[in-house]
Amino acid sequence: MILCLMIAFVWAYSHLGLRGEDLHPSSGGLKVLGEFAARALTPALTSEADFVPEGTRPLLYIALSSARTTLFFAAAGMSLGLFLGIVLGFFSSTSWWAGDFGGVRRSSPSRILGRVLFPVLYGGSRVIINLMRSTHEVLWAVLFLTAFGLSNTAAVLAIAIPYGGTLAKIFSEMVDETTREPAHALRGAGASGLQTYSFALVPQALPDMIGYSFYRFECALRSSAILGFFGFPTLGLFIRQSFSSLNYGEVWTFLYVLLGMVLIFDWWSGAVRRRLAP
Amino acid sequence: MKGTSLELDGVSVQYGNTTALEAVSLSISAGERVGLVGPSGSGKTTLLRLLNGSVLPDQGDVHVSGSPLYTLSRTDLRRVRASIGFVYQDHRLVPNLQVSQNVIAGQLGRVSLLKSLRMMLFPSRVMVEKAHEILCRVGIGEKLFERTDHLSGGQQQRVAIARALFQEPQVLLADEPVSSVDPARAKDAVELLTRISREENLTLVMSLHNLDLAREYCERLIGLRRGRIVFDEPTSSIQESHFSELYRIGEGEMLADGA
Amino acid sequence: MRRQEDKGRSQEVQLLLAERPRNRFVRGSLYLLLALIMVSWTFGDLQVDELFSTHRLRNLNRFLSEVRPFPLHGKEWDWGVALSWAQEIFKREGLEATLSTLGISVVAILLAGFFGSLMALPAARNLACSEPFLPEIRPPPLRARVFYALLAPVTRFALILLRAIPEYIWAFILLAVMGPSAWPAIVALAIHNTGILGRLQAETVENVNPNPLSALRGLGGKRSQLAAVGLLPLLLPRGLLYLFYRWETCVREATVLGMLGFSSLGFWITDARARLQYDRFLFFVLLGAAVVLIGDFISAFLRRIVRKA
Ligand SMILES: Nc1ncnc2c1ncn2[C@@H]1O[C@H](COP(=O)(O)OP(=O)(O)OP(=O)(O)O)[C@@H](O)[C@H]1O
Ligand SMILES: [Mg+2]
Repeated sequence: MILCLMIAFVWAYSHLGLRGEDLHPSSGGLKVLGEFAARALTPALTSEADFVPEGTRPLLYIALSSARTTLFFAAAGMSLGLFLGIVLGFFSSTSWWAGDFGGVRRSSPSRILGRVLFPVLYGGSRVIINLMRSTHEVLWAVLFLTAFGLSNTAAVLAIAIPYGGTLAKIFSEMVDETTREPAHALRGAGASGLQTYSFALVPQALPDMIGYSFYRFECALRSSAILGFFGFPTLGLFIRQSFSSLNYGEVWTFLYVLLGMVLIFDWWSGAVRRRLAP
Repeated sequence: MKGTSLELDGVSVQYGNTTALEAVSLSISAGERVGLVGPSGSGKTTLLRLLNGSVLPDQGDVHVSGSPLYTLSRTDLRRVRASIGFVYQDHRLVPNLQVSQNVIAGQLGRVSLLKSLRMMLFPSRVMVEKAHEILCRVGIGEKLFERTDHLSGGQQQRVAIARALFQEPQVLLADEPVSSVDPARAKDAVELLTRISREENLTLVMSLHNLDLAREYCERLIGLRRGRIVFDEPTSSIQESHFSELYRIGEGEMLADGA
Repeated sequence: MRRQEDKGRSQEVQLLLAERPRNRFVRGSLYLLLALIMVSWTFGDLQVDELFSTHRLRNLNRFLSEVRPFPLHGKEWDWGVALSWAQEIFKREGLEATLSTLGISVVAILLAGFFGSLMALPAARNLACSEPFLPEIRPPPLRARVFYALLAPVTRFALILLRAIPEYIWAFILLAVMGPSAWPAIVALAIHNTGILGRLQAETVENVNPNPLSALRGLGGKRSQLAAVGLLPLLLPRGLLYLFYRWETCVREATVLGMLGFSSLGFWITDARARLQYDRFLFFVLLGAAVVLIGDFISAFLRRIVRKA
């Protein structure tokens, strides 16, 4: 295995035509790096541009309001993603119809349901979630940008679609991996497939599902910031602008705001997961 | 009249190529208290699971209250199952729900999905009080809102019994209800089950490894061995020799052990 | 009589309800999140209704008419022509771009795996302490105690920083520093994933069964020896699982990082978009999806092998 990995590494390395010396930045690059790094401890508090047009908001206001937009896009996209994830996750899990919950009549129409309809639904939703997942949120965003033009909804949808697919996949796996015995017991007491799914299978997976959702929220925050690089009014937009106009102090300001948000969420999701652990 | 009769009619069950039950016929009348005894692997669990339709027989039929279980429609099957409480060997509770939710889940068979959502998430006061009453009856009323997996094995067993009772069943099936508790508590649990079945005239079938308890609390004992009924008699006419015959290590098994 | 009993019960239930164990933090967190979501839908300026305005729909129409493969513009749909068109793009740019996307992801994830495992050791609190796995007879010198008390938290914080900044921003900055080659993408991916793999590996180290290691320590093993002999064999299978799992994500990101200007799929996506060749644009997006699906498939396959072994 290790050998295979090494071979893969060597192949990829030579295929890309990588050279070790390219890793060293050129003198120009070094200068950029030096100037950029020099501002790490002195982020800008006011705009650094030479010419500030009349009526421009102060830098800190821009930083905070773009942070707010980043957060809002992430939250809206994530909520839509959660909705998609729960719905599609339900159809992509097998545990509420497959397997032996026992006792269906040997020749009953419900058998046909179980043999044909549910597997088809399952397969269909698996295909859908894989398609949703297979395209990166940035590519979804670019696709929507190209199709509709710039619109904030595009950013929300771009986050919601791949996240929904991923959440659906993970949720369905989490539910399918729980122990089935309680479900059998409820089934034996007359509960329907949907009831056993909701009250025996999902509750066991719920802590993991909540923990994972918090983690994905943190990821959504990062994605939302990145979408700014494509023109949406989130932190990425201003990072790109300030960087290209060489106002490195401003870049650091925006980076620190992003970092702060992500760190808060990292702590938050960690704290929630710790408390959900048995 | 409360209570439901159960009947097995020439039932055989096979798992792959092991035969769990072979041509078993018996009938249990309403309100009877029956003990199921036999060595490990003799088919006790399988027999009990046949009775609520969670195992399909390869041959033969199961009748509950006179109607054959395997020709019932989906809704009828649900109704019949809702009237049969089952206490499992391994409890089969949802570990991270509250005790009250696990108990209330006993009623799922009687309500629609929407109603069950409300019942499980926002149970009415009446419902919670009823759950509390039943939990008090099995002796753990104060655990009502505890997380189920924070209880000891014996307490969880009581929750399982409470769940079965919350179903307001007519038949109570119990699979080794004493497997996870100390001897004193084992006696308690069996006594509880028989008392309840007597009070409410429930048909009670339980499998027991403890022969003394089986004799003390059951009116009728059925001995199983390798998927066949060895004896099926009222407790009063059971002799010690019945048991020694039942638990005798057969020649085949001797060989298997020696090898 | 009966009524009185009922009343007593209902009081008792109330009492139990008040005393029930509650997870206030999780509950509060959920409410807070819910509030956040509602606020963002109301005040987020999401322009949902505007999405279906006439000029948007006109945009959409134009886009849809232009995603038809170029040779088929204004003609009947013909699979043969479409396929040969796709084949040609694939031969000309697609294959090369696919391979370099995969190449970038492979180099990056292996670098991340290497550095992540290295950083996992000082980040694991059970190994990076002054008395790992076995109390010392004489307390270690103060200097050593202070050093080890700081080592794990500092490493952990460094790992958090590495992963808190998105790959794309790393790549964006590195591009300006290193100049155009595949390196900025690789280094950016490697940095972010080092942060993630490092933490995951550190958790594996912390969950390791301490008994064999205590025994080794008792025999006088140094930390480095413990790591090499006692930990490495235990970490490898888990580490490989994580590695393949993260590789999936790396493939996704590698497609996108090309948009900054490296010759991966993303580069051709922006290129086609800039030239308004929407048919090629869509082709590359779909190719990217296919590459990701293939990557997922390979990763799942490899993980199954590791699990079995
Ligand atoms: N799900 C199953 N798959 C395959 N074989 C099974 C299954 N369940 C039971 N068996 C087999 O059927 C036979 C009867 O099993 P059953 O569980 O009914 O025995 P039991 O009397 O309840 O035993 P115990 O006292 O150990 O609980 C055994 O030989 C067992 O191996
Ligand atoms: Mg059994």
